[in-house]
Amino acid sequence: MSQLSSTELFQFILAITVMLGFGKGFGELFRKLKQAPVVGEIIAGIILGPTILGYFFPDLLKFVFPESGPVGYSLEAITQLSILFLLLAVGLEVDLGILIRYGKSALITTFYGMLIPFIFGFAVAFLIPQFFIDNPDERLIFALFLGTALSISALPIIARTLLDLNIFRTKLGMMIIASAMFNDLIGWIAFSIFLSVAEGTGTGLSIVSPIVLILLFTAVMIVIVRKLFHRMIPWVQKELSWPGGIIGFIMVMGLVGALITEKLGMHTILGAFIMGVALGDSVHLRESTREIIQQFITNIFAPLFFVYIGLRINFLTAFDPTIVIIVLVLGFAGKIIGAGYGAYKGGFGKNESFAVGFAMNSRGVLEIILSLFALEMGIINESLFVGIIFLVVISSILSGPLIKLSLGKDKLKGFVQLLSSEDIVISNAVSKRDAVMELVELACSKHKLDKTNVFNEVWKREESLSTGIENHLAIPHAKIDIKKPIAVIALNKDGLNFEAADNELSKIIVLLLTPKNENELQLKLLSEVANLFADKTNSKEIINSDSSEEILSKLVKIKSRME
Amino acid sequence: MGIPFKKIGLAITFSPTGKALLYEAGRLVKLFAAEIVLIHNGEKTLEAETKLAELIESAGFNFSSVNIEWVKGDIADTIINKAVEKNVDLLLVGALEKENIIKYYSGSVARKIMRQAGCSVLVLTSPSETPVSFKKFCVSVDYSMQSENAIKTAYDLAMLEKAEKLILIREIQAPGLAMTVQDSGSMREVELARQTWAKEEKDKMEMLIKEMNLTEIDIETHCLYGKEGYEANKFVEQINGDIFVVPAPQKKLKLFDRIFQHDFEFTLKQIPCPVLIIRNPGK
Repeated sequence: MSQLSSTELFQFILAITVMLGFGKGFGELFRKLKQAPVVGEIIAGIILGPTILGYFFPDLLKFVFPESGPVGYSLEAITQLSILFLLLAVGLEVDLGILIRYGKSALITTFYGMLIPFIFGFAVAFLIPQFFIDNPDERLIFALFLGTALSISALPIIARTLLDLNIFRTKLGMMIIASAMFNDLIGWIAFSIFLSVAEGTGTGLSIVSPIVLILLFTAVMIVIVRKLFHRMIPWVQKELSWPGGIIGFIMVMGLVGALITEKLGMHTILGAFIMGVALGDSVHLRESTREIIQQFITNIFAPLFFVYIGLRINFLTAFDPTIVIIVLVLGFAGKIIGAGYGAYKGGFGKNESFAVGFAMNSRGVLEIILSLFALEMGIINESLFVGIIFLVVISSILSGPLIKLSLGKDKLKGFVQLLSSEDIVISNAVSKRDAVMELVELACSKHKLDKTNVFNEVWKREESLSTGIENHLAIPHAKIDIKKPIAVIALNKDGLNFEAADNELSKIIVLLLTPKNENELQLKLLSEVANLFADKTNSKEIINSDSSEEILSKLVKIKSRME
Repeated sequence: MGIPFKKIGLAITFSPTGKALLYEAGRLVKLFAAEIVLIHNGEKTLEAETKLAELIESAGFNFSSVNIEWVKGDIADTIINKAVEKNVDLLLVGALEKENIIKYYSGSVARKIMRQAGCSVLVLTSPSETPVSFKKFCVSVDYSMQSENAIKTAYDLAMLEKAEKLILIREIQAPGLAMTVQDSGSMREVELARQTWAKEEKDKMEMLIKEMNLTEIDIETHCLYGKEGYEANKFVEQINGDIFVVPAPQKKLKLFDRIFQHDFEFTLKQIPCPVLIIRNPGK
């Protein structure tokens, strides 16, 4: 085996050090700025590549990052390996159970969320190919590429945004995650088919057999091999060192998957991804193992890959504002309209559907990998590649703020977010019944509800079990025919007997009305209110208020203090 | 305190397990002051009738006053249909803790009844001729109406049994959470998110207990993080639960749900202890 010379070894280690150091550094910087690290890593690549470093110091660029020769090939090999491991990590997080649990709504969202952007991309590429490619005869394969590239979403960015917005575990959040997972699964299979078609077009081979082979491979891996892993993983975790044994096992299996698909004439990435799905679905795979693998891949291989992207392209010379705008408009419009419409069809409200559209509009590693392959195969030029990178960067930056905007203050459906000063009253009621009636009237006049029906429901619940809680709090409540929860508060300084466990009179009376079919939401709000006043000082603070505005501002402060 | 079941159905066979199940049924009939319907799949011959009479009387029932239904055909289907016809609200069946892979996927009689019965089902893996009462009740919670119904039934049953403890189990899972570390998250943040969710779930369960006014028995709440269905099953096994009460799935489970395991299928695959599947009659 021939070896790298001392200079080549030095060059190779220097290249990796610079790529990793800059990539990680910019990634961390963007993390601090509350942006996706992938954006920082790509920018690090742009700085290190022909766009900036190459412009000022072309010789230095050639020395540190040679394009050919042993060092160039070694860097290329590291990038290929990075892509495989990134795909393995994506596959590991695809949960087939959640796909089944949220099946229908997630499927509808995914269907429209992929179909509409695909049609947008395909139609534009097919009808006006001259904007993007030199040879219009290759429009079909190019149209397939653009349709596929625009139809896929980025699960890590979506998951992170949902966690930041504190809606990860809500029905909406889980549906978005399920849709993003469906999107990944279908996206990667479609991507492999696309590659087979692209390669087949050149060689004149039938495109049917690779498609059948891809679907067959996926089915065998998910139905049979997944079950085998389910039996093997407990043994690996028990008998081998932890976490080294299981991490090594997963990495090796990812590579085995890549080898199998390569041997079968499919692309290596499909093997790594599907192997990840088969492994990750096991109930025995510990959460900490997943996190360690994600950390390992994210902190080593992701920066290397994203920096490499910047090294490949001169972003200044390849930048074409028309193409960038077309890609952005097509990407944003297709995904937001498609996924938003799908969510709406799946039963979500208007604002929530927009939120789904904005979330699914996040793009990431998949688009970049797909575009890189297309670039290497000569299907697209560097200008379109840069357009796709812009789409990834801008959609990643905007997805969080856009979701926030669409959900407004309803986003958490939290108790304090439900209130405005009009929902708070200083009460002089002298009986529990009068106080409940006063609150019911307040809620019903604002929300145009039948007060007799609402009162009857609340009172029925109150009579079955009084709702007095410790620290001068009472929470009369009922489930009624409404779409969103309603909360109103009365402050009664004299106090009323709601039979609280601590025998104190209730002075803060919170009426909670929740939709009939949302048991969990009612429990969540009830426990949230109870927790808010579990500390006596919080109750005292509210009792010592003189106006509804003062009460509201104190509630906001208490809430943020508790967070 | 309510009586959860008024009519108990039992598919009677001549096997040793069948005999033990009859004894178990006898105990429950007394406990609930319920009526019993015995369903026997087979030809009604004099010999079979005599043998059945001996078996029934040995378990303490009066043969002449017991309602026996003779059925023929697919065992599971006939039992399920007869139970519906006779308005049975609890079917008692015996089952192996775990079946071999082929049987699991092809579907055994007991598993088919658990999946498809129109009423609640009590599954006993080790029925005994000297049955004992259940002391440690575990209930799976998901806040649905079915789940509330399961908690209420478990509570009533626990009161009747003078049980030591009722344990409410809530499973939570956030698929894709580990992936947030890929996009600027840290393991500490992820762990913090999990802890916050677990606390929220505990609070909700405590509130549920108050809402349902479950005051007369010692109740514990547990929030488990992991694959829903699997974690609760494992937990019940680990703490040696005496009975695991679960709401029936809201749809009929098919082969697809065994391949891409539905939450409920984890319990069917490895039955951790006696399992009571709560199904609302007529739903």
